[in-house]
Amino acid sequence: MLRRKILAAAAAAVITTLGATAALADITILAWPGGPAEVALRKVVDQYNATAGKAANSKASLIYFSRDSFFDKMLADAAAGSKEFDVMLTATYNVGKYAPFMTPVDDLITPDIKNTFPQSAIDTQSYNGHVYGIPTDLSLHFIYYRKDLIDKLLSDDAWKAKYAAITKDKLGTEMKPKAPADWTWDDFIATALFFTQSINPDSPVRYGTVLQMKNLLFNIMIFEGAVASYGGNWLDKDGKVTVDTDAFKKGLDVYKKIADAEATPGDSNSYEYGDANAAFGTGQVAFMLQWSAAYAELIDPKQYPAIEGKFDITHEPAGPEGIKTHFHTLGLGLNKASDKKDEAKKFLAYLATPEAMTMYTKEGGQPPVVDKIMQAVAAGRPDMLMMGDNAAKYGFVPNGGTSADALGVYTNMAENFTGYWNGTIDQATAIKKVTDYMTGVFKK
Amino acid sequence: MIVARKGIGSRIGQALRWTVFIVTGVLLNLPIIMTLMTSFKTMADINTSPPPLIFTPTLDNYREVLAGGNTDLLSYILNSVVIAGGGALLAIALTFPAAYAMVRHEVGKSWLLPLITNLRAVPLIIFAIPIYLMYQLAGLLDTWTGMILIECVINIPVALVLFVGFIQDIPEEMDAAAKIDGASSLRTLWHVIFPLSRPILLAVLILSFVYGWNEFLFGLILTTRQAVPVTVGATFFVTTYGVKWGATAAAMTLGIVPPLILGLFAYPYIGKSMLTGAVKG
Amino acid sequence: MAGQRVGVRAKEQADARYFLVALCLFLALMLGFPALANLWYSFSNFSFRDLTGGSFAGLANYKQAIGNPGLWSALGFSLRFGLICAAIELALGLALVFVLHPLLARRPWLTGILMLPMMVSPALMGVMYRLILNEFTGVIPAYLQILGWPINFLGKNNVYYTVIGIEILQWTPFAFLILLTARQSIPMELEEAAAVDGAIGARLNALVILPNMIPTIIIVGFIRFIDSFRVFDHIYVLTGGGPGNTTTSLSIYIYKLFFNQNVLGEAVAVSIMLLVASLTLLFAGLRLAVRTRAR
Repeated sequence: MLRRKILAAAAAAVITTLGATAALADITILAWPGGPAEVALRKVVDQYNATAGKAANSKASLIYFSRDSFFDKMLADAAAGSKEFDVMLTATYNVGKYAPFMTPVDDLITPDIKNTFPQSAIDTQSYNGHVYGIPTDLSLHFIYYRKDLIDKLLSDDAWKAKYAAITKDKLGTEMKPKAPADWTWDDFIATALFFTQSINPDSPVRYGTVLQMKNLLFNIMIFEGAVASYGGNWLDKDGKVTVDTDAFKKGLDVYKKIADAEATPGDSNSYEYGDANAAFGTGQVAFMLQWSAAYAELIDPKQYPAIEGKFDITHEPAGPEGIKTHFHTLGLGLNKASDKKDEAKKFLAYLATPEAMTMYTKEGGQPPVVDKIMQAVAAGRPDMLMMGDNAAKYGFVPNGGTSADALGVYTNMAENFTGYWNGTIDQATAIKKVTDYMTGVFKK
Repeated sequence: MIVARKGIGSRIGQALRWTVFIVTGVLLNLPIIMTLMTSFKTMADINTSPPPLIFTPTLDNYREVLAGGNTDLLSYILNSVVIAGGGALLAIALTFPAAYAMVRHEVGKSWLLPLITNLRAVPLIIFAIPIYLMYQLAGLLDTWTGMILIECVINIPVALVLFVGFIQDIPEEMDAAAKIDGASSLRTLWHVIFPLSRPILLAVLILSFVYGWNEFLFGLILTTRQAVPVTVGATFFVTTYGVKWGATAAAMTLGIVPPLILGLFAYPYIGKSMLTGAVKG
Repeated sequence: MAGQRVGVRAKEQADARYFLVALCLFLALMLGFPALANLWYSFSNFSFRDLTGGSFAGLANYKQAIGNPGLWSALGFSLRFGLICAAIELALGLALVFVLHPLLARRPWLTGILMLPMMVSPALMGVMYRLILNEFTGVIPAYLQILGWPINFLGKNNVYYTVIGIEILQWTPFAFLILLTARQSIPMELEEAAAVDGAIGARLNALVILPNMIPTIIIVGFIRFIDSFRVFDHIYVLTGGGPGNTTTSLSIYIYKLFFNQNVLGEAVAVSIMLLVASLTLLFAGLRLAVRTRAR
């Protein structure tokens, strides 16, 4: 018995040592799971292992956590100083939260890197004057709309008349239909009402739009564009919380009006990304505000036959302060606890080359790269061009949106704002609760 | 005359019982039936409204989860079997004697039992960080052993309470008889109480296995590659680019198989009451 | 004689303690450090930023925790949720045992079909319910609508009942299984004796069987209450605790404090208060429960 134990222990020790030598120069990358981005990154890593990695005698491998609770798992690992991965994920909205567990990659930000990324993209991976990650994927929001329906609305006189009648009746002013690219938030609301069957029985779809109103922090990011276009921000120049403002109230009311008019599915209060895609993808919704990532999925007729060839994308509706969209990048940076930072840095340096990023884009990634790379791959990726363009023109990160408490703020907003939209608390209470919370965390 | 009436009555009773059984069976399992159906649908069928009841079944989802290359569902299932099984057996080994001691000898019943039961009420999340740090020191992160130990902790309160409740109901004369023969407590436990407790032992085994099988939080936090359980592994199909409903459903369906097999083996024994026979003897 | 008897009892008690040693040792090893660490966390301003550090902060976390109105609404939700679910599961489980016992005594494998719902992780089932109950792609709502019975299961007015329904569908089998075990452990001669006295059918159940099952009923109700009280997975996946905080259970509340709001001390303080409160209740309640024995 004892002998067996000793043998087992000895075997384990040998295996560990062997493993350690073999793994000396091998690095592990923790990346964002799923979709074309995962496929693309796998290809880039393979390419690295065959070229630059081989030259440096270093091999990179990928691990993924499930998307549900991804950040919670990574936080536990990073905070405890796990060495399971050398390269880890960064995101604009939580770079401040993870900064204590990461090593900045400032020395990788050479003049050369500007051949790959514009400065604005690198800024989205910065916190307190240090760069923490190489940006790999850009995320923002588009209006996804049904071309066939909007075309008919813009050309059919009966529909136009009905549109005028509905807007007069429900919104108090007679309005004319417009193309989505010219929409203000009022047009957004009006068109949502028009395409809702309970309001307009002639509508060929059940609902005008689909809002994501689950108590989930990512849903607030989608909503943020509306607030920003009304001139809203989290904090003013002096760091004072500016949620109790007209801009927030007007933004909140865009959602509230649509929810109250039931121009969004009755279970929208439990919707997030995937549910909204399901609603739009079954062809029962005229348009929606959605993450840019959805394009790659919705365009696939094998998955969404009902909307094949029938939809298009454009930027978010405009407010008095113009068009705004929340945007962020995901990126890859260095785990502070890693023993192989030099090897990991070699990989990150490779990742930041125009060649690697061109390949990444071609394979389905959505990196925030310079126009030159963008143009080179644009033929196969219409969404890519619009993403780069929209990020540069309309991209918005709220003041405090990269701080250590940003996720907490989003979480708090999600609870209170979804409460308001779904009628469990009133607007004043929601705003007061969020203001109190934010004042508390930003005072620190 | 009377006999005939009784026959009809019991036959009607029997028919009623079957009806209740079928209705309950369908109703309780409706979500699973839907999941099973979804696992055989293409994405196009899934994204059709209203959803078709009749469709051409496809095995693509199973192909994706089993041979997709990027996830290793079978090894997640194996991990789960080992973790849930080990966690359940260890919990039983620890709590069954303890429950016996508490009931028959009144040791610790007044303070230890409530204290342990109470663990169940606390959200486990608060233990996540200290246990993570502890495991990191002990090298238990991402190992079967580590996961078995934590599942065991999770199972202990319920197992203990159920055992205490059951052993209380075993007539004390039964072990008194053994004691007169001079059997030690251990022998009494093993030869008298243990066989009598077979139904509850199997029930606890199933329940503990199921608890371990379903556990998500620690599976997520404490594993990375080697010991990932199927609950966590199946959520790999919930991606940023959308939920792969079909693949998720296929992974879930495959994940039901092991506990189902365990159950089918165990239920016949639960049904046969050992106590009845023993009392008669 | 009497002295000898006491001596035997004392020896048996000493023997019996050994049976507890393994369990206690195991729990001390697994939870000793976490318990102490948590105690420290709750009195310090510790955060993810520095898991081994933090400085003494007195009762600040406790004050903050008690002052947070979210705590009380989450506690309210969990208590109500736990009570409603436990009561319904118990009632259904009991009814099923009485109706199905004769059937299952002869064909025990049928039990397996009724146990199936437990075998799917609530976290995954929650994901699946998003599809199944979706207004567009969900089979159940779609066909109810065609039948002229439109219900938005996950809509703001129904979601509360839906999460309760989901819990009940999944865990009634638990109540059923344990109650069935108890029912099948009731000696045949008890039934036979009662039958001789003329008690059959419902009367047999009410007068003879039910009283014998009371300890088990209490224990099952208790376990189901506690498990439902700390419900997390399926609600978190389905509603995120919303809309607003209407479905935020105490576990979800604590989880969010912990990971999203980054106030670990407060999250742990809430848990410790919960521990103390439930311990107090348990010392009273459980002792009562395990002592209530059918005679």
